[in-house]
Amino acid sequence: MQHMASLTRLHEVAEPTAIEVARLSHVYAGPEGGVPALEDISMKVAAGRFVVIVGPSGCGKTSLLMMLAGLRHQTEGTILCNERPINRPDPARVGVVFQEASLFPWLSAVDNIEFPLALRGMPKEERRRHAEAMLRLVGLEGFGGRYPHELSGGMKQRVSIARGLVQDPPVLLMDEPFAALDEQTRMTMGHELLRIWSTTRKTVVFITHSLTEAVYLADEVLVMSARPGRIIDRIPVTLPRPRTYEMMATDTFGRLRDRIWQQIRKTTQPGLA
Amino acid sequence: MPLRWPAPSTMRWLILATLLVFWELMPRTKIVPELFLPSLSKTLAVLYSDRLEYVEALGVTLYEVAIAMLFACGAGILMGALGGGVALLRNLLLPVFSSLYAVPIVILYPIFTAWLGVGSESKIAFAGVYGFFPVMLSTAAGIRTIDPQYVLAARSMGATLSQQITRVVIPASIPTVLTGLRLGGALTIIGVVVAEMLTSAAGIGYLVTRYRTILDSPRVFAAILMILVLSVMFDVLARGLERRTLAWQTAGRRPRRSREIMQAVPAGAPA
Repeated sequence: MQHMASLTRLHEVAEPTAIEVARLSHVYAGPEGGVPALEDISMKVAAGRFVVIVGPSGCGKTSLLMMLAGLRHQTEGTILCNERPINRPDPARVGVVFQEASLFPWLSAVDNIEFPLALRGMPKEERRRHAEAMLRLVGLEGFGGRYPHELSGGMKQRVSIARGLVQDPPVLLMDEPFAALDEQTRMTMGHELLRIWSTTRKTVVFITHSLTEAVYLADEVLVMSARPGRIIDRIPVTLPRPRTYEMMATDTFGRLRDRIWQQIRKTTQPGLA
Repeated sequence: MPLRWPAPSTMRWLILATLLVFWELMPRTKIVPELFLPSLSKTLAVLYSDRLEYVEALGVTLYEVAIAMLFACGAGILMGALGGGVALLRNLLLPVFSSLYAVPIVILYPIFTAWLGVGSESKIAFAGVYGFFPVMLSTAAGIRTIDPQYVLAARSMGATLSQQITRVVIPASIPTVLTGLRLGGALTIIGVVVAEMLTSAAGIGYLVTRYRTILDSPRVFAAILMILVLSVMFDVLARGLERRTLAWQTAGRRPRRSREIMQAVPAGAPA
């Protein structure tokens, strides 16, 4: 166990840092000085890693992700992505996949995937070529002409992932992308995401409520406290890759899952700890 | 052979045909006096013999409706977009306009005739104001109720403010705006006809009033029939436009394509 942990650390040192958050705090404007939402968050994500953030509802996970995406400004602290600060959306560096389907219902799947390219004014044929490649990557070849309402929940999120990846950003942020799916679809989608991740080698920051999903997907799980959100635990997941469904039944998986749960329980019900 | 109800669309045509048959038979059998309800054949006969007068009146009415709709839709969409998009204007305007919507605007018509005379201008002004409110209110509602997730997603993909408006806000609000246009357009027709019936010297509504005054029932009904046809045609056109613009809402729900999906999905579809 000790040996594994030190190996992981060596591994981290060897890779360049994709995301670096330093002393980030956020206060929502309001009466009496406002509501503190995030407190002194610092984290480093090495390039190509899969980091999952879990925490109780309302702890500011989504706010943190919005800041990483440049969609919201923090009160204090800095965010670096590939050593340059993030202060507005930059789809060339960071792709975002949202909760549920944020696909545009008036566009077909392939037009949705092309949307960010169209914003940049890329010619139609080139766009189509990129989008078709993305459809193949997410396993939806031949479904490009469908409108979102003609796709199942899982297929919609595949399209969302394709849209997040189409500009080939080194970083992909995912805000509870599978939260609205049923458990079986969710398991399949988690597995699919790992397959896509292993072929594209993106740095992924993934937010979820599901402890099982967290352990199954992550290289490292960051646990956040109840509001104001702080990072209270960093748990390296030592399970080998590629991950398989069978690993969910192992002791290691159970112990990791339990450690996350104990941390969340402590922060939401301090009296019980 | 088991007895089965015909399809709803067949039923609708059957009901319409039955009504027309009743319209013909009731006066003929003297159940209803001709003065109250002239028979369908008599109505159509005067419509044909006086066709020049009716066509001319229809031309006047159509002209007034067209200009009034242009005004109602243009101003309605513009004000609705401002009211829905700009928070300050929303707080200032929307409560006032929502309350004004409840006012029977027909009380303003005498003022319009005083200002603009009994010609087409007063009809256009009145009907334009009448049709303006639903267009404006539904445009504002359409813009306000856009899922903020769409705008957030567009921003994350690097959309500028003008791209957010043209590529997200406008397409996302089109369904609600079209509903408002259909309602506003129908109200414009009503506005023009009512105005013509009250004070005027031309138009279909004027014919209704004039022939009613001299108790010429067949000619009253002929005019009513024309207004009916006009309104129904407008509705059919508006629905057609909605269907074409909103093809994405119904794509795949048409029977032909849904069968393809039923076959395709269980076979090789991913989760």
